[in-house]
Amino acid sequence: MKKPLTRRHFLNLVGAAGGTTAIYQTSRALGLMEDTGPVAQLDLKNVARSRKKVAILGAGISGLAVAYELERAGYDVTIIEASHRIGGRNMTLRHGDLIDEMGQQRTCNFDDDPDLYFNAGPARIPGHHHRVMHYCRTLSIPLQIKSNVSRMTYTHEENKFGGKPVRIGQYLAETRGLLAEIVHKAVNKNAFDETISVEDQERLLAFASSYGDLDPNGIYKGTLRSGYKSGGFAKPAEIFERMDFREFLSSQFWQRASFMFENPDWGEPLMEAVGGMDNIVKGFARDIKSPIRLNAQVQSIQLQQNGIDVVYNHKGKRKKLSADYCFNSIPTHFMPGIPNNLPEDYRNGLKSLQPGWGFKIGLQMKERFWEREGIYGGATFTSQRIGEIWYPSHGIHGKKGILLGAYQFYDPSMFFDRMTPEERIAYAANCGEKIHPGYSDYIEAGVSVPWRRMNHMMGCGTRFSEDARERYFSLLQQPAAGRHYMIGDQISYHSSWQEGALASAETALLDLDKRVRAETGESRKA
Amino acid sequence: MRNVIRKILPAVALLWATSAMSQDDLPIPADELVYCTVCHGIQLMGNPIIRAPRLSGMETWYVEQQLRNFSAGVRGLHEDDTIGVDMQPMAAVLTDAQIKAAAVFVNATRSTSPKITISGDTLKGKAHYSTCAACHGVAGKGNEALGSPDLTIPDDWYLVTQLQNFRSGVRGSHPADSYGMQMRASVQLLADDEAIMDVVSYISTLRND
Ligand SMILES: Cc1cc2nc3c(=O)[nH]c(=O)nc-3n(C[C@H](O)[C@H](O)[C@H](O)COP(=O)(O)OP(=O)(O)OC[C@H]3O[C@@H](n4cnc5c(N)ncnc54)[C@H](O)[C@@H]3O)c2cc1C
Ligand code: HEC
Ligand code: HEC
Repeated sequence: MKKPLTRRHFLNLVGAAGGTTAIYQTSRALGLMEDTGPVAQLDLKNVARSRKKVAILGAGISGLAVAYELERAGYDVTIIEASHRIGGRNMTLRHGDLIDEMGQQRTCNFDDDPDLYFNAGPARIPGHHHRVMHYCRTLSIPLQIKSNVSRMTYTHEENKFGGKPVRIGQYLAETRGLLAEIVHKAVNKNAFDETISVEDQERLLAFASSYGDLDPNGIYKGTLRSGYKSGGFAKPAEIFERMDFREFLSSQFWQRASFMFENPDWGEPLMEAVGGMDNIVKGFARDIKSPIRLNAQVQSIQLQQNGIDVVYNHKGKRKKLSADYCFNSIPTHFMPGIPNNLPEDYRNGLKSLQPGWGFKIGLQMKERFWEREGIYGGATFTSQRIGEIWYPSHGIHGKKGILLGAYQFYDPSMFFDRMTPEERIAYAANCGEKIHPGYSDYIEAGVSVPWRRMNHMMGCGTRFSEDARERYFSLLQQPAAGRHYMIGDQISYHSSWQEGALASAETALLDLDKRVRAETGESRKA
Repeated sequence: MRNVIRKILPAVALLWATSAMSQDDLPIPADELVYCTVCHGIQLMGNPIIRAPRLSGMETWYVEQQLRNFSAGVRGLHEDDTIGVDMQPMAAVLTDAQIKAAAVFVNATRSTSPKITISGDTLKGKAHYSTCAACHGVAGKGNEALGSPDLTIPDDWYLVTQLQNFRSGVRGSHPADSYGMQMRASVQLLADDEAIMDVVSYISTLRND
C-alpha cells in the first residue's frame, strides 16, 4: 500500500522524475550535442557587428551562464533581476546576509567568520554534472570534496531500534548480512532451477558469503564492517551482535540510508565550492561586464513584430527594454501573473508546471561535537521532520561549525514554512537531541530558508505531471515566436540541479545560434 | 489629477494597462509592497497557480478590512484554511500606516478582467443572486455601508473558494469577524457546489470591463 507513495517521494527527492533515459533520448533527438560527457565548445557565432540585443530575465545560474556566453559572442546583453541579489536559488548565507522570506524578513546571525557559511540552496555537485564542472573550471572556482555519505553518521527512526540512532556502517552491514544469508540458504535448498549450473551455484555461494561477511556455514553473525563495539587497538576487538532483522523489514526507511547514494546525483565523491557554493555566482559576476539591474521586477513581456519588449520597474521608474531576443528564467509559476502576449499554448505549457518545495536549516554550533563521535562530513538520516543532519566537510577541528539541521524536499503541508524562524530552530534543536544528546546546548545561531516562501522564488523543484511533460516540454524548449526562450532548471529533466539550469541554457543558446547563422545562410557545424 | 481621471474613466486606464507602450501611468509599488505583486501578480492581476486573487482597483476600505482581518488572525488562521495561511503572515507584519498605504496602492492598480474559468448556469445563478444583491448590489459593485465588497474584481475561481470557505466556516466563523458572519449566514442560501458555480458564473457577467 505504502510503496508507490514512498517511491514517488523518492523520485521527488531525486529531483529528476523524468528518469535518466528520458534525458538522453530527448536531447539526442534534438541532435544538438551530447547531453552527458565532457562539454564541447559552444562556438557561438560572433554578432558584434549587428549588435543583437538580448534581455535576460533573472540572474540565477541559467541567466548568468547565458549572459556570460552571449556577451562573449558580441551580443548586447542586459540582465534584469527582481531580487536585491543575484544568484537566485544559489544562495550562501553568511554573517549579516538578508534572508528575504515573505513576511519574515531577517538577517543571518552567524559569527563573522569565512568558515561559518551555509549553502541554503545547492550544496553538492556530482562529477557527472559536466556543465557545472566546465564553468567551475572556466571561472577558476576552487572545489573540494564534500563528503555526502559516511559510515560513521546515523540512521535514526523514532520507533525502530528503541529509537536509538544506528551508525550507517552498521546498518548497511546488517542489511547485507541478512540478504546474503537468504541467498545462501536459497542456493543450498536448491531454490533455483536448472539454469544455474552447479559451478555458478558455487560462485554465488562464495559471492554471498563475501557480500554479507557470512561464516563458513553461511550464517550471518555480525561483522567487523559494522564498526568496533570496543577494542581493536590496544585490546582485542569486540564486534556488534547481529540485529533483529524484523526491525529492518518493518522499517519504511531503509531506502534513504541504504540506497539514496546509489543515485548518480548523490554518488560519492561529490564536490562543493571552497568557501561557499555562491562562489560560482561570484565567478560569473566577476567575468560578466553587461549591466545587471537589481531590484528590477519584470512587469510585462510583449512579443513585437521584429523583437520583444520587456518592461521592468527600476528605482521607482518603469523602463522598457526593446530587444531582439529574451531569455527568461523567471520561475514559471509567476508567469500567469506577468502580463504577456506569448502564444496561448505556450502559456498553457508554462501554467502546467507546479512549484515544488524545499526547506533547510543551518545551525551555528559552538563546538564541533560530532567530530568527537568520529563524524567528519556526511549526513545522518532521521524519520523526524528535520529529515537530515549534515556535518561540514570543511573547517575540520576548527572551533565552531555550521550544521545543516533540517532538509525537506517534499512537504506539501509546509510544516516548517508555517512556523516563525524561532519555532523552526527550536523544533530542529529538539529533533537533534534524539540523535546527539546535548545538541541544543551547542546551538548559538541559526537560519532557516523555506524556499516556498522566499521572495521572487516561491518554490524549488518544478513539478511536471507526466501528461503535461509529454504535451508541453518540447514546446517550452523551443523559443516562442523564435524570440522568447524559457530557461532554467525548470525547463530540464534535472529540476533542482544547477546542471539542469545549465543544460537548459545551453539548449537555448545553441538554438539561438542556429537561427542567427541561418539569417546569413550559415549553419552550425555538426 | 491622474487618479481622478482614472476613477472616471476606468476604460481608458484599461487601455493603458493592455498596451505595452503606455504603461508609464501604472502605479509602481513601494519596496515593501513589491511582495504583494509577487503573489498577486503584476498590477495585482491575480495568479491562479499561487492561488492569489486579482485585486486590481479593489475598494480601499475593503482591502483595509481584510488586511486587518488577516493581521489579527481573524482570517487565514483557521486550521483548515490552506490558502489564507499563505497571505496571513504578509499582513501580520504591516503597520497601520502600511496597511493604509497598501490599500491605496491596491486601489490604484489596473489590469484587464481575468479569464472566465468557471462554467455554471448563469440563469440559475441570476436567480440565486437576487438575495446577494441586497448587500452586494444589483451590479455586484458592493456597498461600503454594509461592509460588502465589489464582487466583480476578483477571479471567479477565487469567489468559488471563498463561498466554499464561508459555507464550511473556514472564513466567517471567528467571533471577531462580524462582517464575515453576516456573509456566512447568507451563503447558506446556496445549497451546494453547483449553486456556487452558478452564482459565480452569473457574477462574471456583471464585469463591465
Ligand atoms: C534547497 C535546495 C537545494 C539544492 N541543492 C542543489 C545541489 O546540491 N546541487 C545543485 O546542483 N543544485 C541544487 N539545487 C538547485 C539549484 O539551486 C537550481 O537548479 C539552480 O540554482 C536554478 O537556477 P535557475 O537559473 O534555473 O533559476 P533561479 O536560481 O531560480 O533563478 C531565477 C531568477 O529569477 C528571478 N526573478 C523572479 N521573478 C522575477 C521577475 N519578475 N523579474 C526578474 N527576475 C525575476 C529570481 O529572483 C531568480 O534570481 C538546490 C536548490 C534548492 C532550493
Ligand atoms: C505569499 C503570497 C502572498 C503575498 C506576498 C500577498 N498575498 Fe494577499 N493573498 C494571497 C492569497 C493566496 C490570498 C487568498 C486567500 C484566500 O483564498 O482566502 C490573498 C488574499 C488577499 C486579500 C483578500 C482579497 C479579498 O478579496 O478578500 C487581500 C486584500 C490581499 N491579499 C492583499 C495583499 C497585499 C496588500 C499584499 C502585500 C502587502 C499581499 N496581499 C501579499 C497571497 C499573498
Ligand atoms: C447580509 C449581507 C450579505 C449578503 C446577503 C451576501 N453577502 Fe457576500 N459578503 C457580505 C460581507 C459583509 C462580506 C465581507 C466579509 C468580510 O469582510 O470578510 C461578503 C463577502 C463576500 C464574498 C468574498 C469576496 C472577497 O473578495 O473575498 C463573496 C464571494 C460573497 N460575499 C458572495 C456573496 C454571494 C454569492 C451572496 C448571495 C448568495 C452574498 N455574498 C450575499 C455581505 C453579504
